Amino acid sequence: MRAERARTLARIGGRAAGLLVAAALAVAVLGAAALVPWPEHRVTPPSLVVQPAESRQQRVCPGPLLTLADDAAAATTASSIGGADATLGAEPDDAEIAETPLDAPGNPQADRDGTPVVIEVEPGTVDAGMIAGAQSQSADTETIAGFAATACTEATAESWLVAGATTLGRTSLVMLANPTDVAATVDVRVTGETGAVEAGSALGIIVPGGSQRVVSLAGLAPNLASPIVHVTSTGGTIAAALEQSAVDGLAPAGVELTGPAAMPASTQIIPGFVVAESGGIDPADDHAEGDAFPAVRLLATGDEPVDVTIGLVPEAGSTSGSTIEATLQPGRATDVPLGVLDAGAYTVRIEADGPVLAAARASVTAPGDAQQPGSADAAAAGDFAWTVSTSPLLEDAVVAVPDGPSPVLHLANEGEDEAEVQVTIDGETRAVAIDAGSAASVEVDAGSMVTLAGVSGVHASVSFGDEGELASFGVQPPGPLDAPIRVFPR
Amino acid sequence: MFPRVTAVLVAHHGGDHLRHSLEAIRAQSRVPDALVVVLTEADAEAREIAAASSPTHIVELSQRLSFGEAVRAADRVLDAPTSDGDALWLLAEDTAPAPEALELLVATLETAKSVAIAGPKLREWDDPDRIATFGRTITRFGRSVSLVSGELDQGQHDGLSDVLGLDPAAILVRHSVWRALDGFDPALPTVDDALDFSIRARLAGHRVSVVPGAHVRFAGDGVVGQPADPRARAARRRTRAARAAALHRRLVYAPAVAVPVHWLSFLPLAILRSVRLLLVKSPGAIIGEFAAALGTMFSGMRVARARRQLKTARTTGWSAIAPLRMPPDEVRRRRQHAAEERRERARGRKHELQFIGTGGGWVLLVSIVASVALFSWLLGAGGLSGGGILPLSSGLGELWHNAAYGWRDIGAGFVGAADPFAGVLAVLGSIAFWAPSFALVLLWLLAVPVATLGAWFAASRLTERGSVRAVAALVWGLAPPLLVALGDGRPGAVLAHMLLGWLAFAVFGAATSWAAAATASLLFAAVIAAAPSLAPALLVAWLVGLAVSGRAAVRLAGLPLPAFVLFAPLLFEQFGRGTPIALLADPGLPLQSVVPSAWQLALGFPGAAWGGWPEFLGDGSVIDAKLVVTLLVVPLILAALAAVLAPGIRGAALSLGLALLGFATAVAAGHVAVAVAGPEAVQLWTGPGLSLAWLGFVLAAVIALNAVRRGGAVLAWVVAATTIAAVVPTGLAIATASTAIAPAAERTLPAFVGAEAEADPRVTTLRIQPEVDGSIRSTLEHGTGTTLDEQSTLEQTLDEMSESEEQLAEVAGNLASRSGFDPDAAIREFGVSFVLLAAPAGDDREAAATEARARTALDGNAALIAVGETDFGTLWRFSAAEPDAPAAQIPPNAGGALTGLITAVQIIVLAATILLSIPTGAGREADRRPQRRRPPRRRPWPAAKARKDSAEEAAGADASPEPVLADQEAGDSPAAGEYADAVESDDAAEPADAAEPADAAEPAAADEPAGPDEPSTDEQEPPAASDRAEPTETKGDDDAS
Repeated sequence: MRAERARTLARIGGRAAGLLVAAALAVAVLGAAALVPWPEHRVTPPSLVVQPAESRQQRVCPGPLLTLADDAAAATTASSIGGADATLGAEPDDAEIAETPLDAPGNPQADRDGTPVVIEVEPGTVDAGMIAGAQSQSADTETIAGFAATACTEATAESWLVAGATTLGRTSLVMLANPTDVAATVDVRVTGETGAVEAGSALGIIVPGGSQRVVSLAGLAPNLASPIVHVTSTGGTIAAALEQSAVDGLAPAGVELTGPAAMPASTQIIPGFVVAESGGIDPADDHAEGDAFPAVRLLATGDEPVDVTIGLVPEAGSTSGSTIEATLQPGRATDVPLGVLDAGAYTVRIEADGPVLAAARASVTAPGDAQQPGSADAAAAGDFAWTVSTSPLLEDAVVAVPDGPSPVLHLANEGEDEAEVQVTIDGETRAVAIDAGSAASVEVDAGSMVTLAGVSGVHASVSFGDEGELASFGVQPPGPLDAPIRVFPR
Repeated sequence: MFPRVTAVLVAHHGGDHLRHSLEAIRAQSRVPDALVVVLTEADAEAREIAAASSPTHIVELSQRLSFGEAVRAADRVLDAPTSDGDALWLLAEDTAPAPEALELLVATLETAKSVAIAGPKLREWDDPDRIATFGRTITRFGRSVSLVSGELDQGQHDGLSDVLGLDPAAILVRHSVWRALDGFDPALPTVDDALDFSIRARLAGHRVSVVPGAHVRFAGDGVVGQPADPRARAARRRTRAARAAALHRRLVYAPAVAVPVHWLSFLPLAILRSVRLLLVKSPGAIIGEFAAALGTMFSGMRVARARRQLKTARTTGWSAIAPLRMPPDEVRRRRQHAAEERRERARGRKHELQFIGTGGGWVLLVSIVASVALFSWLLGAGGLSGGGILPLSSGLGELWHNAAYGWRDIGAGFVGAADPFAGVLAVLGSIAFWAPSFALVLLWLLAVPVATLGAWFAASRLTERGSVRAVAALVWGLAPPLLVALGDGRPGAVLAHMLLGWLAFAVFGAATSWAAAATASLLFAAVIAAAPSLAPALLVAWLVGLAVSGRAAVRLAGLPLPAFVLFAPLLFEQFGRGTPIALLADPGLPLQSVVPSAWQLALGFPGAAWGGWPEFLGDGSVIDAKLVVTLLVVPLILAALAAVLAPGIRGAALSLGLALLGFATAVAAGHVAVAVAGPEAVQLWTGPGLSLAWLGFVLAAVIALNAVRRGGAVLAWVVAATTIAAVVPTGLAIATASTAIAPAAERTLPAFVGAEAEADPRVTTLRIQPEVDGSIRSTLEHGTGTTLDEQSTLEQTLDEMSESEEQLAEVAGNLASRSGFDPDAAIREFGVSFVLLAAPAGDDREAAATEARARTALDGNAALIAVGETDFGTLWRFSAAEPDAPAAQIPPNAGGALTGLITAVQIIVLAATILLSIPTGAGREADRRPQRRRPPRRRPWPAAKARKDSAEEAAGADASPEPVLADQEAGDSPAAGEYADAVESDDAAEPADAAEPADAAEPAAADEPAGPDEPSTDEQEPPAASDRAEPTETKGDDDAS
């Protein structure tokens, strides 16, 4: 009996111990699973960075300035008012550049003044982006006067033109050039200060391959002070440009031909924004009339309101510049006055908490302040310029500087490190050191080619300025279409 | 003249048998005139004993010759017979004749001059009341059968005299006849030697007679006839020898013209007989069957020699011996008798499940209701989509092609091994042959009921209690890993979970039947095919099971064989690549998953955080979701841990070990990523490991709950309620169709492509998918889109790019760029007709930018014509696209001869396993459950039976006049016997081998601390007896003609 009880006790004890062991084991296993850094086996997905086979590199120069009013019988016909001077080049400079004029069926004066020109090099002759062209033109007619310069651009499927106005006395023409062999179906969408403009006629514009079409912005969106034009195409790609001309009273007050701005991003840099004359309007001023003051045109492309900080850093001097805070309503273009500024070149940095577009406008008045309509002195007309936001350059770039008054190359280093830029002008190389976050300007020769090296992360633009003349264009890196792409094959 | 009788005694080893035999010869009333002892490779003791008996001659042979050869050797030292009366008495070390045996035998030869051979009645050595064998004959088709064997000798056969043949032991042969017929046929070393000799004697005009009065005790040591070794290997050797002898005799006896026909028929017959051997659950005899057939077919001149010998001596026709053959009626009677015997043996062996009686029906009903509630939105759907689900190929031919080694039609395609999972899919697709993709709907609808039933059956092996069975079934059928796998759309994991319960059930049954063992091996293959990540854990469980299952290990040894054969090509290729770990890749479409914390894994939730409880409780909830899940699952884990308190630690240890293995698998799976889908390395899913862990928990909980004497049902239902409550959010998410899965859309590629595919089934679409990091993923799809069965882990786990993949990347990268590349290369290299630019997943800016870039490039590509926007993305068509593009075709005969070879091997192994799994073996197969608590009563009986069986073996017939009870409790009352059975079947188990769950069900028995560690003394012998019955059965057919 006793032995049996002892056995029972032993069994109960044994089982209790078993339970304890099991529980302890469970805890230990859990601990081991959670705490021990077990080795990992993780494969690296194989991929291949495909360098697209070299294709023809192509830039489209928008061609001569156009005017609508020349032929009263056909007010919708834009005809040219003279030829543009183009400067072309590539690096290495012995690369053969083919120039192919596009059809400009809408321009009755095309035979006289020329048409948009496609410049291209054969595959393999130059590296991506190492071809450049630019054009400039001085106008002096009854309706258009001033100096305009622009770079020849790549044709893309999507571009944003941040410039123009269709208020009284302002004329804006959207020039759509299709350099490809495929007809392009182009949608032009205009966003103004009141929001997106419904314009059915601007959707589905067919631009045949190898030709240019011109659309008057006023016809799509009349009376807009701050239009922003979004050009998208399917089929062929489009090189878009916007020509804006101003007439104050009866006197022409400038012309500008503006290429596409950088794509929407939360940071936008406008390098080399030239304020020709001191002055301006305070950003808080709600009654900024007209367009004769430095301003930056912004559009939040997202669906949420965006807070932006606009920083203005003078290129020269040690002043840290000023900042302006603003809130953008989504889908509404806004012109923000940049306050009272001293004359000089500035780097405009826009930081936002959502994707925005940006371009800056400055103007110059006619010397003597008493210009006459139809005055023979072109320089007396006054002028304005749009300086667009740019994308950072790649390691090397080539810039064409067309004819024009006192061209200046502006370089803004937005990278993290100091940039050692080699600027080669007509075979002469200069070293320019630019601290991170600051900018430099280099005077260049009109009608020359400038080769830049070590400009990775640098934004660049070229400005022209003289009394009563002002123009600017951004130097954009080659589009991503030629960039290497990583491909995962399964 | 006085006839001279020479006794020839062949001895191999010394010992009591030899000593007794020699003594018995000396004690003969008619002492042989000479004694020749033939020592065949004998030991010293035998030599000593032989010398002590002072024989006339001692012939020493250094080889182990057959009995016939040994006698021949003895004959060589003898003088030529001087008269017809001179005779040889063929004895062996284990034949102890009764004193008057020789006298009676000699008298028979003297009285009837026509009798050339006289044979005694051989009786069991240890049980002299039992006839070992007495006379032998052949059926109409030439099968050798013993006239009498294994019967209690009550003089019932004493009227027998003329027989067709004899067994060789202790026969008296006229010396002249022996010489005239040149002794035994050397081609018949152990079996049918004397029978063949008798037949030749008969054909030479002599008679063969049995002498019922002459008794010889016979032990079956293997010197004469077959050894009566109880071990399985010896049994197999006997079967093989018997078959070889039968085939040899067939070639010898057949008319010359029929010999080639017979010769050609051997292999087909071997195949047919192998099928039968599988059906009668004697897989071990198959090798012997083929060895016998081939050995006889290529035996050189032995057949010719034997035929010549037969021809020389033959004086009468075959018709003369026809009356002595066994009549068909008798053959039929014996067969019926054998069947009766099998039924007898099967009785009490079968496990009474009492499906309806213990509430199985209700459990099934509940599981069906649960399934309908979960998937009500799926009813009426024609297919399933989402997660890792794709349609199946629409043709059965394609389905099975994709399951075989050969062309892997994924991407650009390559030749390689198929995933075994494709085979599982092919089976599923064939079930729904009218629309294979519907099989996935069926799978989803049936997953919960099938899993539930499996767990119910597995639990029924461990407990008699309906409540515990039901709880186990429901906890398993609604387990988190299953529901999460269903919600995520992971067909592999769903299948693995569905089948794991059934695998456990089949493994539990393997000890009693080959059918269950074969079923288990098929399920094992299916589970591993569906979830290869379980393979290491299941192999460990298998090894442990082998170690603890004792004699049942034989049946479990082949468990991984079908899985191995299915995986072999894949194994070979992955090892060849040096990436064996890639074998673990989840088959099917790679599907990324998050790795939960170890704590969440321990609770069985593989997928979304805490089984969806955080969303279920809402944001502002005061209760922590972790706490809720923990509290709900902990009762099950506690119950499982409590299994160590139940009597018999083994079951608990094994179940909890299984849980541990599963958990370890799940944790390890979280650290391994072998498959690649675009820019992502897809890690193994933790679910299958958790399914295994859950199985361990459920089995352990069953053991624990079964041991609770009072209130067990209440506890069980508490465990069930809390555990099922834990999956409520997961279940609700599925029921409201807010998971990844949905009824299938009509197509996976744009309708335009689908229309094209109708005319050109190989129409190829290059699909470009922008990815988040600004890269693109380019894949090729053929026809109406890639299917689930086309997926290949071989392709997914390749750690570098194949040549064609690089080419494809080159093509796709250039198409997505402005490029001077010749776009028609896509047509040339891959036969691409369409390019589909898929919308980027999510709203990533870089992906959107990449999409814009690719769109621009494709739009501007003059070689492409835009088709337009579709639901699947933007579609372009190559203007130069050609129908039935040569590059898109599957190369004919892609796998070459290897396809046929590998497929043939796989089919043979699988077909054999399937045949073996058909439950026809009741009563035929040995019960290999551990024997326990069996007092060694009737000790002599099993031993006697063992010898009887061996004699039966040698005789090649299986009839025994009285029903032979297997080793089942002959003495107990039927009820007690059945109860003991139940106990045993519970014990017979790997992996969750519950040692004594039934003890608790019967409290009176629970105090008996008998365990597996105390094997009873008779553990080895009695089952061995029934084992040896197996090969006997296998010979019971007549295939000769």
